[in-house]
Amino acid sequence: MKTDPKGVLTGLHRLNGNHACAEGALAAGCRFLGGYPIVPALEIYERFLERAKQVGATFIQMEDEISALAAVLGASWTGKKTMTVTSGPGMSLMMEHLGLGVMLETPCVIVNIQRAGPSIGIPNRPSQGDMMQVRWGSHGDYEIIALCPSSPQEMFDCTIKAFNLSERYRIPVSVISDEYVAHLKEDVVIPPAEEIVVEPRRYYTGSKDNYLPFKRDKDFVPRMVNIGDGYRFHVTGLTHDDRGYPVMNEECQEYNVHPLVSKIRNYADEIIEIQEAEIDDAEIIIISYGATSRAALKAMEQARRSGIKVGSLKLVTVWPFPEKRVGELAKKVNAFVVPEMNFGQVVLEVERCSYGNTNVIFVPHGDKGVENTDDLLSAIKHATQEKSVRDGLIEYKQARE
Amino acid sequence: MNSIVTAFAKGIEKSGVKPSMICVPSDIPFEPEVVDFLGVDFFHTTRGRAIPFGTGLKLGNPALKVVPFIGDMMTLGGNHFVHGSRRNMELLVICINNFVYKKIGGQSVPKTAPAFSPYSTFDEPFNIPHLGNSCGALYTARWTALHIDELANSIAEALNKRGMSMIEILAPGPNYYTDIKHIESNVLNFYYENSVIKNNEDPRNVEITPEKKIVVGKFTDKERPTFLETYNTQLSSVLGDKFIPYGCVPPQNKSGGRNGGD
Repeated sequence: MKTDPKGVLTGLHRLNGNHACAEGALAAGCRFLGGYPIVPALEIYERFLERAKQVGATFIQMEDEISALAAVLGASWTGKKTMTVTSGPGMSLMMEHLGLGVMLETPCVIVNIQRAGPSIGIPNRPSQGDMMQVRWGSHGDYEIIALCPSSPQEMFDCTIKAFNLSERYRIPVSVISDEYVAHLKEDVVIPPAEEIVVEPRRYYTGSKDNYLPFKRDKDFVPRMVNIGDGYRFHVTGLTHDDRGYPVMNEECQEYNVHPLVSKIRNYADEIIEIQEAEIDDAEIIIISYGATSRAALKAMEQARRSGIKVGSLKLVTVWPFPEKRVGELAKKVNAFVVPEMNFGQVVLEVERCSYGNTNVIFVPHGDKGVENTDDLLSAIKHATQEKSVRDGLIEYKQARE
Repeated sequence: MNSIVTAFAKGIEKSGVKPSMICVPSDIPFEPEVVDFLGVDFFHTTRGRAIPFGTGLKLGNPALKVVPFIGDMMTLGGNHFVHGSRRNMELLVICINNFVYKKIGGQSVPKTAPAFSPYSTFDEPFNIPHLGNSCGALYTARWTALHIDELANSIAEALNKRGMSMIEILAPGPNYYTDIKHIESNVLNFYYENSVIKNNEDPRNVEITPEKKIVVGKFTDKERPTFLETYNTQLSSVLGDKFIPYGCVPPQNKSGGRNGGD
C-alpha cells in the first residue's frame, strides 16, 4: 500500500536522529502521538507536534507515560497509526501498558531513546541499558519486536519498518535507539511518497454478527475492526477466548498466550534484519547494534589493515534475536567480540546462541565514548591470542592509565 | 451492577445516541454478554487507567461517545481523573463506588469512610463530586444503584454534554464471604433509605460520613470549551490557514466504516 503523501517531506535533508524519527513516523502514516516530554527524546516530540498541525495529525501531552501509552493504545483502535516517544524512565512506566498492548494485540510504535540509568541516571548521555527491559520488562509471557537504528537515515527507515511490523503482527513495536544517534546530525534522504511502502491494517471483512475479535488466521494474527463501526465487540486484558470474553482456566491460558509467542517466533526469519560485512573469510566477528555498530565498522577496517581477518554482524532487529545465524557463525569463527554501552545484556544472548562453540568477548563500551575504537581493537587482538574455547563469557578489561 | 446496566441502557435510549457510537473502556470486568445486549464496544483495560485509554479513543475518533466505567478511580486512576477533568476531555466518567475493594475481600480504599471498616480507617475519604468539580468537570452527580430512573436521566443528560461529566454511583458489589441475596436486600436498601436527594447542592457539602444521610442528586452542570475545541481555536488563531483543524468533521464511513486516508 502507498502512504499518504501529506506526511512525506521528500528530499535530501540534514536531520538529527530524533527529527528523522518524527519524519519517518509521519511518512509511515502515523497520525496520533501521545507522549510525555523527556530528555533526550524531546526533539521527536517537538518535530512531530510542529508538523502534525499541518498534516491533520493530532497529539496530546498526557499526565505521565503510563497514560501516554494508554491513550496511544486507545487511539490505535480507532484505526489510526499511533506512537509514543520516551526514554528509559518513561519506558519503566510504560511497561504496564506494553503488556496490555500485547494482550489486546494493538498495533503501535514505542520509540525509546536510551539514556544512562538506572533510575534518573544522566539524561543526556547515551546508553544501551534498556535492551533487556524492552524484551522482558512487562510481566507474563510474550515476544516483542525491537529495532535498533545506528544513524539518522536508519532512524527514518526503522521507524517506517516499525509501523509496518506492528500492523503486520498486531504488536507494539519498539524502536530502541540511544542519545548518540538521536542527536547526531547527518544527511537523510526521504524518498517520494510513492516509493514508501506501508503495511495496511488487516481488517475483518465478514458480516458484523459473526465478528470474533481474537479469531486467528493461519499466521496466528487476528483481524481488526475499528471502534464505532457497530461490531459490538468486547476485548479484555484478562485471558480470553476468540470472542474476547474472559475465561479463567489453564486450557484458555495456553490457547490465548501461546499464539502471542508463536506469531513472532514462527515468523522470526521474516522479521529479522541483520547487516553482514566481510563475513566470508572472517576469523573474528564483531556483533553490534545501534551506535556501537559505527565504532565496530571502524574497528573492523583498522584491524583488516593490520592483517586480522575481522567481520561485522550488525543487528538492526535485536528482538527477536537472530539465534540461527549467530549459531551458524559460532561454528566457523574463533571469537565473537561484542561491544555494548552497558554492562552486558545482548552479549548474554550471543553467548547463549554460540552454544560453547566459540569465545565470546564482551567489551563494555561506554566509558570512553562510542567513537573510540581503541578498546575494540585491543579486544580483537586479545581474541587472536586465545587458542582454545574458554568456558563462559570473557569480559575485556580496559587498560587504565 | 444489574441495576446500573439497566439505568445505562435506559440512559442511552433517552439520550438518542446511537449505541454503536458508544464505547466503554473500563477497569472492571462486565459480564461480556451485557455488552452485546447494550450494543456498545467494550475495552477491559488495566486497573484505574480507563480515562487515558478513553482519551485516546476520543482523540482518535472524535465522533465517539466514550464512557469510562471505573472502579479504582481514586487510587490508580486519581491522577488521570484530575487531568481528564482539567483538560475537559469529552468523557462521561462513571465511578462505581462500593467503598472497599469488594471482589478481593474488602480492603479499604480512599473512598472508605471510617465506620465502614472494622478497625476504622485512618485517613479521610475523597469527596469525589467536589474533586471533579474543582478540577473542571462540567457535570457532577451522585446516585445510588437503586435510583434507576434518576440515574438514567443523568446518564442521558451527560451523554449529550460537551465536556467532562462525572457520575458517582453507590453500589454494593458481590463479596466472597457474603451471598448476593444478602447484599441486594440489605446493603442496596441501606444506601437507598439513607440517602436524600438534593439537586444543585454545593459539592463541598456532599461528603459521605456515617453521621449524615448520603446526599445524592445532580450537583453541577456548567459550560466550558472542550479540549478539542480549545485545541482547534488556539492553533487556528496562531497558524491561520496552515493549520488543518482536527476532529471538526466526523470521520467519513467509507468501505466498511474505516477512517479513509489514515
